Amino acid sequence: MQVIKLKGKAVGAAVEILKKGGLIVYPTETLYGIGADATNSQAIKKLTEYKNRPFGKPYSIAVTDRKMAEDYVELNETASNLYKEFLPGPLTVISKGKHKVSTGVESEDGTLGIRIPDYKLVIEIVKKFGKPITSTSANASYKKRPYKISDILENISAKQKKLVDLIIDAGTLPHNEPSTVIDTTLDNPVTLRQGKIKLTDKNEVLTRSEENTENLAKEIWQKYEMHIGKRAIIFALQGKMGTGKTIFTKGLARAMGISELVTSPTFALENEYETGKKKLFHFDAWRLDKSTELRALGFENLIKNRSVVSIEWAERVADIIREFDDEAIIIWIKLEFGKKENERKISWGVTQ
Amino acid sequence: MKILAIDTSCDETAAAVTEGTNITSNVIWSQASAHAKFGGVMPSLAQRMHEERIDWVIDRALGKDYKNLNGIDAIAVTVGPGLSIALGVGIDRAKKQAIKHNIKIIAINHLEGHVLSPLANNKKVSDIVFPALGLVISGGNTLFIKIKKIGSYQILAQTTDDALGEALDKGARMMGLGYPGGAVLERMARLGNSKKYKLPIPIVGQEARRMFTYSGLKTAMYRLVESEKPLTKRKIYDLAACFQDVAFSHLTRTIKYILRNDFAVKPGTLLVGGGVAANVEVRKRLRKLGKEFGIKVLFPYSKKITGDNAAMIGVAASFKYECQEFAKTESVDRKPNAKITD
Repeated sequence: MQVIKLKGKAVGAAVEILKKGGLIVYPTETLYGIGADATNSQAIKKLTEYKNRPFGKPYSIAVTDRKMAEDYVELNETASNLYKEFLPGPLTVISKGKHKVSTGVESEDGTLGIRIPDYKLVIEIVKKFGKPITSTSANASYKKRPYKISDILENISAKQKKLVDLIIDAGTLPHNEPSTVIDTTLDNPVTLRQGKIKLTDKNEVLTRSEENTENLAKEIWQKYEMHIGKRAIIFALQGKMGTGKTIFTKGLARAMGISELVTSPTFALENEYETGKKKLFHFDAWRLDKSTELRALGFENLIKNRSVVSIEWAERVADIIREFDDEAIIIWIKLEFGKKENERKISWGVTQ
Repeated sequence: MKILAIDTSCDETAAAVTEGTNITSNVIWSQASAHAKFGGVMPSLAQRMHEERIDWVIDRALGKDYKNLNGIDAIAVTVGPGLSIALGVGIDRAKKQAIKHNIKIIAINHLEGHVLSPLANNKKVSDIVFPALGLVISGGNTLFIKIKKIGSYQILAQTTDDALGEALDKGARMMGLGYPGGAVLERMARLGNSKKYKLPIPIVGQEARRMFTYSGLKTAMYRLVESEKPLTKRKIYDLAACFQDVAFSHLTRTIKYILRNDFAVKPGTLLVGGGVAANVEVRKRLRKLGKEFGIKVLFPYSKKITGDNAAMIGVAASFKYECQEFAKTESVDRKPNAKITD
């Protein structure tokens, strides 16, 4: 692994590595990304090993412009409009793929996410390389968002370090959100990840699997984790039975670094999970008759101690939760069934 | 050797006196006589506070024979898993009494109590050969373990989301049968046709994952119930039968997979505890499973030992007493997240 500063030679060095099927860590206008030749199956295998994620989870790719994008995907009208309006910029647009990338890059349904970064270095690398590179964040799954090189290196194993061939260090990047991800292959375009660019004025995402829901919890956690220890953080989960409140909390726990098995707290009313310095209190208000019972469970102390709390069936105790508007950051999360069996519409708002 | 046992791990306030694995008394607050004593049902907030009723429950368990802990050799108390503030009440009482009467405390894991509950009043405890198997099916847990010997456990499979009892209770609630409605659901299921509707068996064909999961079934049931509304009595019977059938099929499929693949020599005994162990249908299926594998399946002798109770805590403590495994009174503390393997 070699670390070089961001300057003129970086482009040439990166292209050399990409040609050999290697992995490069590079800065973008959002986070540090990790790039591999999207048409080289060995390189993609290596990337999947680095990211430590199951095979089959797709990668989006970075291209230079719309023309290059059209070599790899079919753009419909919605996609076209998004390209015109927002690209280059922090937006990933998912379209129907043309199957010209390596297996594992497109989704199982054959869709592919395209990103045109608003960042000169990446455009120059891709242009010189002549092929698209993967555009995924440089952290391993469920690890800290990488805004500086140490964010990456401190959270990966020696084995993972060995897999990275080159790091282009541009210092600490401004703390921007990861790109918004929009799927244009459906009748109505849906947001799969909410970044700076918003299609509507509310935060709403469609998840298509339990893993997606866990992942969304991680994304939301990463937006607010900087407040940990300074203020209490409450995830107030609302939604019918079976919409994924416990699944969401599983993702939250995982993002916090908790490895214990998170299960439904319906019976126990409250479960506690711990990892080193961090602790997650997982409540379930379903069996509570009156909202004041939440106080009897020691809720106030948890807020005073600036804890991280997740509450299922929060609508049943909303009045008590709202009393802590000043002391805590409260993230209200609404989970609803989508049209298809595994789909969930998840929206959220924050009082802070 | 006589033990006063206390369990306040969640909803029930419970105390018991046991001698070895034999039960002398077994008092659980929610029993009718206790309600009568206090003039009806308490509001739920107070119900969970335990504080107001723990002394009455302990006194009642001690009765005249062991008044003021006279003749009691040790106090057993549940330290976890459970609700932290609830556990605290039982632990606090146990400590005070232990200091006052200068007797020792035995700290017990609630799950170990459930696993060993079939040994209560069982005359053939010494015939059991280890390793054996244990299964806890309750409102808070679904846990299949290998009992290497009493006190030493290995988890073979556990729920990754909802417990079996919780799933049954929630299924009942969806059909408007109240909460907790697992027992009502069982009665309805007896009158229904389990083949009437098609619900997916959780992780069917993927039993190699060695886990229990009920959240997907819960969601499927929710959608089914919604689509069948308005519900008639007939529909409720059939829905209950289908739901229970699928929930139990998943349980036995996973257990069978593990028995087939992870044991060259099958253990001779399976101990089944927890509230769902009172369900006649699940007993039938587990006995059948036992027959298939040549395993003797033991259940608690009475319904009062299946749900949360203190008698099972006393039974578990009797083995620790034999090995002189006492806790330091001052350092006994709640372990809301305790595992049976701790």
